[in-house]
Amino acid sequence: MSELAPPIASAPVSEGAALIDERLLRIGQDGDVRLVCGRCASCGAESFPQAAVCASCLSQDIEPFELAGPGTLYAYSIVHQAPRHWDVPYAVGYVDFPGGLRVFGHIAGPFEKLSIGKTVELKLGKLGARPDGTPLSSYVFAVKE
Amino acid sequence: MREVNVIGVGLTPFGKFPEKTLGEIGWPAVRQAVIEAEIDPKSIGAVYCGTGLGGMLAGQRVMKHLGITGMPIVNVENACSSSSSALRQGWMAVASGCHDIVVVLGVEKLTKFGGGTLPLEAEDWEVMQGMIMPALYAMRAQRYMHEYGLTIEQLSDVSVKAHNHGALNPHAQIRKRVTREEVMNSRPVADPFTLWHCCPTGDGAAAVVLADAATARRLGSRKPVRVAASEVTSGIYTNGFRELTWAELTARGAKHAYEMAGIGPEDIDVAEIHDAFTIAELMYYEAFGFCERGTGYQLLSSGRTSLGGDIVVNPSGGLLSRGHPIGATGVAQAVEIVWQLRGDAGEHQVEGAKVGLTHATGGGVAGYDHGACSIHVFTR
Repeated sequence: MSELAPPIASAPVSEGAALIDERLLRIGQDGDVRLVCGRCASCGAESFPQAAVCASCLSQDIEPFELAGPGTLYAYSIVHQAPRHWDVPYAVGYVDFPGGLRVFGHIAGPFEKLSIGKTVELKLGKLGARPDGTPLSSYVFAVKE
Repeated sequence: MREVNVIGVGLTPFGKFPEKTLGEIGWPAVRQAVIEAEIDPKSIGAVYCGTGLGGMLAGQRVMKHLGITGMPIVNVENACSSSSSALRQGWMAVASGCHDIVVVLGVEKLTKFGGGTLPLEAEDWEVMQGMIMPALYAMRAQRYMHEYGLTIEQLSDVSVKAHNHGALNPHAQIRKRVTREEVMNSRPVADPFTLWHCCPTGDGAAAVVLADAATARRLGSRKPVRVAASEVTSGIYTNGFRELTWAELTARGAKHAYEMAGIGPEDIDVAEIHDAFTIAELMYYEAFGFCERGTGYQLLSSGRTSLGGDIVVNPSGGLLSRGHPIGATGVAQAVEIVWQLRGDAGEHQVEGAKVGLTHATGGGVAGYDHGACSIHVFTR
């Protein structure tokens, strides 16, 4: 736990913006984004989001670890019609990380660069807004140049 | 286990009925099934009602209109396989000897949400990050196209075939033929899907009456249809790698259902499968063993799964054309197959059909292929 960067909790990630779920990520001093994952101390099974109980052996002894990437884009889609709190169009995809975890999330544009198998890295992005207008942010995948 | 027969069926045309309550949508289907079965309503041992988003006590809200109450009414939720899972519960109740006659219904009113994509569980972490059902199936399609070279033109043909069938079905929500070009040029939803690649949301209800074979004979039931297999299973959770191009859950369920019925894929004459989005139909051809992996489009283009073929898939128009009021779909599929096996399907009849299959999957939870899958085999 001590190796983790301080949690940003519900602090705004940029002026007026809020994270969709602050438990899922850490933002380092230099602004790099990492995912907060879990590793079972008993059997080694990994989880994202960090599990409270191991889905492989039922242990509750789960240690957090940070996943920095990069990962590989397994599949994606550009979404044109979605619930109104999202900025459309947006791209989403599944990214496979070394170690075996698969993570779903938004993908940063431009969409023309997207193709299956691309290497992606983690960044922070604005994805939509709450009904009250507060911008919503989360980790996003960005195609590595 | 006792042999279970379907002795009566009812189905409302699917569509958008925002002015009706869930109960008002549901009762005509149950009434039709009970009258067709020629049973005394007092002989109904239990009612199993599937609904995905209908809310509390959906079955009671339907049955009170008919005054058929006082017996156990059990409501079953398994997303899009809600009423097929209810059918499994009804089958178990009759097969086990617990009840001689039960009613199974599916009912849904999606217009209460005012349109748009199906509302998923907001606490699911993928949903919180922007997952919607069209995107999930769209990713399957993108990956399938990447691995097998399927083109968007080919994928669009699934919708063309579905609407060719649905145009003949008076119960279908969309009774309009479309061309490949119309499918491709409709408004984008989630690439590669345009609107015509996606099933419409709507309202509807379906019902069946089940009885054990001895009771069916005693009642003198005309054209009873036998339930040869009744199967429900769940997805296998993982937060790691999962192949999006292989419908593992359906393939596993199909294997069980075939074993239970003592048949194989080559014995199926007609099937109603869960074509919520175009790619699903091709993937399910493969999962059911109708063709080899990666060859779903070749099977479609051969015409074998179209009316006139030897393994007709979704003669009703499927979810793409008949519509998909999610909790009603499973029993609606069963009603369709019963009509097909009795020779009562009308313009979209599959000539001489003797063995039919239904299949509904329910998804939308992170870490699963789908959450639930229910498969039934019917014979005459």
